[in-house]
Amino acid sequence: MTEEVMSGRGLVKNFGSTTALAGVDFTVHRGETVAIMGPSGSGKSTLLHCLAGIMRPDSGEVNLMGQRIDSLSETQRSRLRRTRFGFLFQFGQLLPELSAEENVALPMLLDGSDKSGALQAARAWFSSLGLSGLERRRPGELSGGQAQRVALARALVTGPIVLFADEPTGALDQASGAETMQTLIKATKGQGSSLVLVTHDANIAAYCDRVVEVRDGKLTSLSAPAVAATAQPGVW
Amino acid sequence: MTKLAWMLLRGGGKRGLLSSALTFVAVAVTTALIMFTIAGNFAFNERGERSAWRNPVEAVDTATAIQATKTDFVADQTIVTVYLAATGDGTPPIPPGMSAFPKPGEVWLSAPLHNLAEDLPADQLAERYGAISGVLGDEAAIHSTELVAVIGVTPDSPALAGPPVNGYAATGISDFDGQGASDTYRQYQAYMLIATVLMVVPLLVFGGAAARLTVARRDQRLAALRLIGATPGQVVRLTVAEAMLTAVAGAVVGTAGYALAIPLLRHIEIDGATWYLSDLWPAWWAVAATIAVIPLLVGISAVIGLRRVVISPLGVARRHTPPGLRAVRLLVLVALIVAFLVMSQRFIGMGAAGLTLMVTMLGATLWAINLVGPWVVGLIGKITAGLARRGSTLLAGRRLADDPRSVWRAIAGIALTGFVAGFIGVLLPDQVESPAADVVVSIQMPDDEVEAVSGYVSEAMTDAEISIMDWDDSTVLEFTTAADTAELDRFRSGLAAVSEGSVAITDIDFNRFTDQLLYDIRTGVLVVMAVSILIAMVSTAVAGASSILDRRQTYSLMHLAGTPMKVLNAARRKETLIPLVILGGGAIAVGVTLALPFAAGQGFQGGAFGLLLTASLGLLGILGASAATRPLLASVMRDTTPRPD
Repeated sequence: MTEEVMSGRGLVKNFGSTTALAGVDFTVHRGETVAIMGPSGSGKSTLLHCLAGIMRPDSGEVNLMGQRIDSLSETQRSRLRRTRFGFLFQFGQLLPELSAEENVALPMLLDGSDKSGALQAARAWFSSLGLSGLERRRPGELSGGQAQRVALARALVTGPIVLFADEPTGALDQASGAETMQTLIKATKGQGSSLVLVTHDANIAAYCDRVVEVRDGKLTSLSAPAVAATAQPGVW
Repeated sequence: MTKLAWMLLRGGGKRGLLSSALTFVAVAVTTALIMFTIAGNFAFNERGERSAWRNPVEAVDTATAIQATKTDFVADQTIVTVYLAATGDGTPPIPPGMSAFPKPGEVWLSAPLHNLAEDLPADQLAERYGAISGVLGDEAAIHSTELVAVIGVTPDSPALAGPPVNGYAATGISDFDGQGASDTYRQYQAYMLIATVLMVVPLLVFGGAAARLTVARRDQRLAALRLIGATPGQVVRLTVAEAMLTAVAGAVVGTAGYALAIPLLRHIEIDGATWYLSDLWPAWWAVAATIAVIPLLVGISAVIGLRRVVISPLGVARRHTPPGLRAVRLLVLVALIVAFLVMSQRFIGMGAAGLTLMVTMLGATLWAINLVGPWVVGLIGKITAGLARRGSTLLAGRRLADDPRSVWRAIAGIALTGFVAGFIGVLLPDQVESPAADVVVSIQMPDDEVEAVSGYVSEAMTDAEISIMDWDDSTVLEFTTAADTAELDRFRSGLAAVSEGSVAITDIDFNRFTDQLLYDIRTGVLVVMAVSILIAMVSTAVAGASSILDRRQTYSLMHLAGTPMKVLNAARRKETLIPLVILGGGAIAVGVTLALPFAAGQGFQGGAFGLLLTASLGLLGILGASAATRPLLASVMRDTTPRPD
């Protein structure tokens, strides 16, 4: 087993009288891809938000590379999200005013990198993700799949330890979704990052090394064959 | 349909309500400011009408009275003195503010003049009039502080002889209807019209843009309505009804807001006086028309904003690189400025034609600034983005380049007024003037009064060197003396006793009209600037809030990915500040440049301090308005479960 990069221990999160997480333990290893599945309202997005430092659990702790992160201040967690994590959402994360390459370079610019260096690093991702020639396009001029790959480049450009993806193919058609998942897995593993992916779709989960399910705030591990029995990557 | 629109309006959720609220606020502010500009015109007309009776219509064969108006002075203030004599042919009309036509020797004073006559030593004012017969009603005076005297004389009084230096010569009259506003108020009315154009154009542009806010939020919902089978007509009617419901509420509240502001607004002094409350409330039909027309314009604007959805039920807002604006716009502006500078020296010597030409070319330059504005905003955006070293600057630059027209709309009022303010600011003299040591006094009188008057002057001003000039049908006596107001007032009182109707006017008095007019123009420019700043502030806040709502999902996701809010706030601040400083400052500079040839030619300088102060306050106000939307951004960014809607 490779090194453990991230863990959540005994995570509890309540929203009023509703319990979203009821004592969840979760680990991710270096280079591992993990899918979190579950029906709507099961708490899978809450788990992702707690792991990524977006929200604090009511109890339990979250560690990254052996350091506790859930007790950090909002500013420190923001910085952590910007520098150590990458994020990929269903859609809408690209700024419409910026060109595709500027969108990819934005995290580095925000962290004080100089513009030409940031753009150069951004452009390198375009060829590796099959986006050559689209650098100057605006998000509105890209297809859904292309926009998701640009967003993936933006998520990976800072070399994150963990990439969090929340229903990344939810807004795409079948072919684009499959293509995006293949690119996502390949690019994430290619640079040694780990992936935590939230989905309600078994076909998407099947792309990952490991699948866990959140149900009523509790986590259960699904064996890979159980997933494979109902779905195959790319066959929806 | 209205019922459904009302349901949609109420059921729009928190964000739907917020965008409707933005439209509501924008329409309310627009209405209040439009009411103000309309009321300004009515107010000057009211004063003009009250001045009309002193500008008589000649009744050749049916004259029952003779009227002459002259300008007298006391304590560095102007007194309008109206001399009236009954001809004896029929019953003379009753003057405004009086109960009967004055008999010879009767003197009626306006309340402020009456008070002044009681306050000042008698030899400085009261002795000019003798016994006071009555106090004039408000309708005799243009405004609440005007000094007016109505004096009854006999038809052969010297007060009715010869043309007066200031005022109106003796005229046979049969009523006091008059010829309309005095010359001075005609000028004020003309300036008010120009100010109206300067304020109303940006207001309408802003109001129209605000109307589309309602539509923008509803694009997708309306597309959904089309998908389930609503006809384009139904969608249009629904949106128009919804936008107009909001706009009617905004227009009514804006009108009420204006009404509440009148007690404050009446303190804007023009012609040296505050306004009557009733002056600043427009005629009922103008109020009704404004409340009716503004929602109508909002409805039309909403229809224009809806075109895309109506054409295609699948119409989804997609953003592309906008087409560039052509640089030829800049050439037009440069050509006009050069032409103006070349022609400027000639305008001065061309009289009325020169003035018309100058105003026309100024108008054309304003129009060119409006053409160039969006182009310059786009250019500034490109340069800013190109030079950006920080993410926030890059974002600001790209946004400016992306939608220069909407940025220009927000600051157009400031830029256009900045141009006028720059022009006027240089030309207007400072109010603080060192008082002259000596004044030149002129007295115009009928020829047969010369002996009495010159005798009095020799006796009262023993050291003065008197020169006598013979005019066509009168004589002018002139001498130089110390600029001592009390002494001059005593001299005037003595003169009135020696020669009825003779008035001593100093060279400072001659300039009093022009100085007052220039001072009022500056007040007007500051008011227009203040209105423009207010438009820009509301426009910036509304556009800022609208832009946050448009991008709420992106902002929220950026926050999740660790983007600090201060970066987005810095981008929004730069997005406002950069074009405002460059274009607002640039417009003021263009105005100053065009005014400099006149300033040099006439020796006018100064007046720029108030302008700079107003511009600086405006800048702070607009930045404050931009910052006011921070809580909205914070609430959007705090939303950890963004969902497309």
